[in-house]
Amino acid sequence: MSERIRIVVVDDHAIFRSGLKADLDEGRIEVVGEAATVEEAVAAVAALTPEVVLLDVHLPGGRGGGGREVLQECAGLLGVTRFLALSVSDAAEDVVSVIRAGARGYVTKTSSGAEITDAVARVAGGDAVFSPRLAGFVLDAFGTASVAVEDELDRLSARELEVMRLIARGYSYKEVAKELFISIKTVETHVSAVLRKLQLSSRHELTRWAVDRRLL
Amino acid sequence: MTRRMTRSHNRILAGVAAGLAEHLGLGVGLVRLVLLASSFFFGAGVFFYAWLWVLVPVAGEMAAGVSDNDDQDGDRLRLYRPAPTQPPVSPGPMARMQSRVRRFPGGTREILLGLALVAVALFLVAQESGLNLQLGTVLPLAVIAAGAVLAWLQLDETRRAGLMNVAMVDKPVGALRLVAGLVLVVAGVLVIVAGGGSWDLVWPAALASLAVLAGVGLVLAPWMLKFWRDLQAERAGRIRETERAEIAAHLHDSVLQTLALIQRRADSAQDVVRLARAQERELRSWLYQDASRADENLVHRVKAVAAELEDAYGHPVEVIAVGDAEMSERTEALIQATREALLNAVRHAGTAVSVYIEANPDAIEVFVKDRGPGFDQAAIAADRLGVRESVVGRMQRNAGTAVILSNADGTEVRLRLPVEPASNARSTTARPKREEQERQE
Repeated sequence: MSERIRIVVVDDHAIFRSGLKADLDEGRIEVVGEAATVEEAVAAVAALTPEVVLLDVHLPGGRGGGGREVLQECAGLLGVTRFLALSVSDAAEDVVSVIRAGARGYVTKTSSGAEITDAVARVAGGDAVFSPRLAGFVLDAFGTASVAVEDELDRLSARELEVMRLIARGYSYKEVAKELFISIKTVETHVSAVLRKLQLSSRHELTRWAVDRRLL
Repeated sequence: MTRRMTRSHNRILAGVAAGLAEHLGLGVGLVRLVLLASSFFFGAGVFFYAWLWVLVPVAGEMAAGVSDNDDQDGDRLRLYRPAPTQPPVSPGPMARMQSRVRRFPGGTREILLGLALVAVALFLVAQESGLNLQLGTVLPLAVIAAGAVLAWLQLDETRRAGLMNVAMVDKPVGALRLVAGLVLVVAGVLVIVAGGGSWDLVWPAALASLAVLAGVGLVLAPWMLKFWRDLQAERAGRIRETERAEIAAHLHDSVLQTLALIQRRADSAQDVVRLARAQERELRSWLYQDASRADENLVHRVKAVAAELEDAYGHPVEVIAVGDAEMSERTEALIQATREALLNAVRHAGTAVSVYIEANPDAIEVFVKDRGPGFDQAAIAADRLGVRESVVGRMQRNAGTAVILSNADGTEVRLRLPVEPASNARSTTARPKREEQERQE
C-alpha cells in the first residue's frame, strides 16, 4: 500500500487525540481531521470523506448517543468511509451498539500505536477488526453451539466459532491462520462474515442477550 | 416511541387546542374552530376539551421526576455511563419552576370562563333532552360544582394522580378501605353526637354531617395535596442529594486517592502503571457491575485471581469469559490450576496475559496465553513443582486435562474440566446418560 490512509480521529479528549496521532505510523496513516463532539464529527466526515474514522464510543454533544449517533448520521457514507470504534469501555452494550450501527471493528484505547495502525489498515482494506473482548461478546451472544449451514444469519458456522474462540484467546490473525492451517485472507473472510451476522442478525437470542445487557 | 401529547404553554384557556394542534400537525385556528363548532352539538366540544384538560399534562410537567437525575453533573457522568436510549427532554429545574409560577396567577379568570361555558353547555343539554330544570335546583348545584372545580383546578393532573396512587384509590381494595374508614368514622361520630337518640334523628344528622364533611373535604383537599406534593418534591431532592454524596464519597476514596498516590510516585513508571491499572479495574467494576452474575461463581473468582496477580506483578491480565459455572470442589481445583498458570505467565513472560474462560454444559475450558519468550518443559528440573504438579497434576486428579504449548512467540496453557467426571460415569452407567438427555431438553 503506497498511498497513505486518510483518517479522521474523533475523541473528546484533546490529549488523547494528540497522543494517538503521535503513536500512529506516519508512513502509513495521514490524520486529515479531528473532532471532539458528535456535531463536529458528522461535519468533519461529510467534508473530508476520509477512508477510516477512528471513533470514540463516548462523545458529548448531539442527542447524547455518542459514537452510535455519529454512525447513524453518517449512514449514507458507510460505503465510502469506514468506522473503527475506539473505547475504554468494556460494557457489552456500548461495543455491540456501535458495531450494530455500522462500525467495522472495535479496539481498546490501551492498544499500542502499531496495533491501531494495523487495525486501521485492515478496516481500510474492507476487513473487520475484532478485539479479544469483542470476540468474547460475540460468542456470548450467539452461543457456542455451531450449525452446518454457512449462510445462516443467526448462528455461527463451526469455522467461524473456531476463529472467534482463538481471537478471544488472544491470538492474532496470523496465529489464527497458522493454528487452523488456513490463509490470513480466509481468517479475514470469516471475521467479516461474523461482523455481518452481528450487524444483521435479528435472532431472538441476540435480542434477549442485548436486552439482558440493557442494549435495546 | 411515539411522542406524547402535552398541553401547550401558548394558550388561551388551558393550552388544549394548541397542544392538540401541535400533536396532530394541524393549525391552531382550525382546531379551535372545530372545538368551538362541536360545542354546539350537545356541548361535545366542551366535554372533549374538559376531558383533555384533565388527562393531558402540561408540556414539561411530565418530564419532572422522570429525569430528575439529569442535573448539572449529568453530562460529565454520562461520559462513563451507557448512553441513554432517549435524549432527555426535561427543560431543567429553572424552566420547570418558571412554568409552574406562570400558570397560577391569572388562572382564575380563565377557569371561571371555562366553568361558565361548561355550565351553559350542561344546561343546554338538559333543555334539549327534554328535562325541564328549575333554575332553583340548577343554581345550587352549579355553585357546588363551581366551588369544587375551582379548588381542584389548583392542581395538575399529575399531582392528583400522585395522591390517588398513595391512597391506592384506583385499586378496588384501596377504595373500599378508604370508603369503609370514612363510613366508620362518620358512624362513630354520629353515635356520640346522637347520644342514644332516636333513629329518626340519626339519618338527617348523618346526611347533614356527610354533606358538611364532603364540602370541607372538597375545599381543603387541594391545599392538602399541594402540601403533600411539596413534601414529595423535597424528599426527591434529598434522595438525589444522598446519591450524589455517595458518588462523591466513592470517587474521593478511590480515584482521588489513587491520583494523589500517582503524583507522589511519578518517577516510578511501574508503580504508576500498577496503580492506574488497579484503579481502572475498580472503577470499571463499580460502573459496569453486572448484578445478574453471582459473586461466588467461576468467572468472578477467576477475575479476582487475575486482579490479584495483576496487582502483584504489574502486568495487565485481560479476562474474557463466555458463560459461567457454579463453584464446586472440582472448579475450585480448576481455579487453583489457572492461578498457577497465570502466576507462571506474569512472572516469566513479562508481557500482557490474556485469559479466556468458556463454560459449556459439558465442559469448562480455560486458556492462559502470554507472549513471552517461552520455555522448554523438558528443561525444567524435576523438583520444580510449579507447572508439573500444580497445573498438570491437579487437573488430572480432577478428571481434567492440561496442555502446555510453548515456543518463542509465547506460551499457552489449555485447561479443560469436563462437567461430568469420569469416575461417576463408571460407577453408574445409566444415570449420567439420563441426565445428559435432560440437559439437552
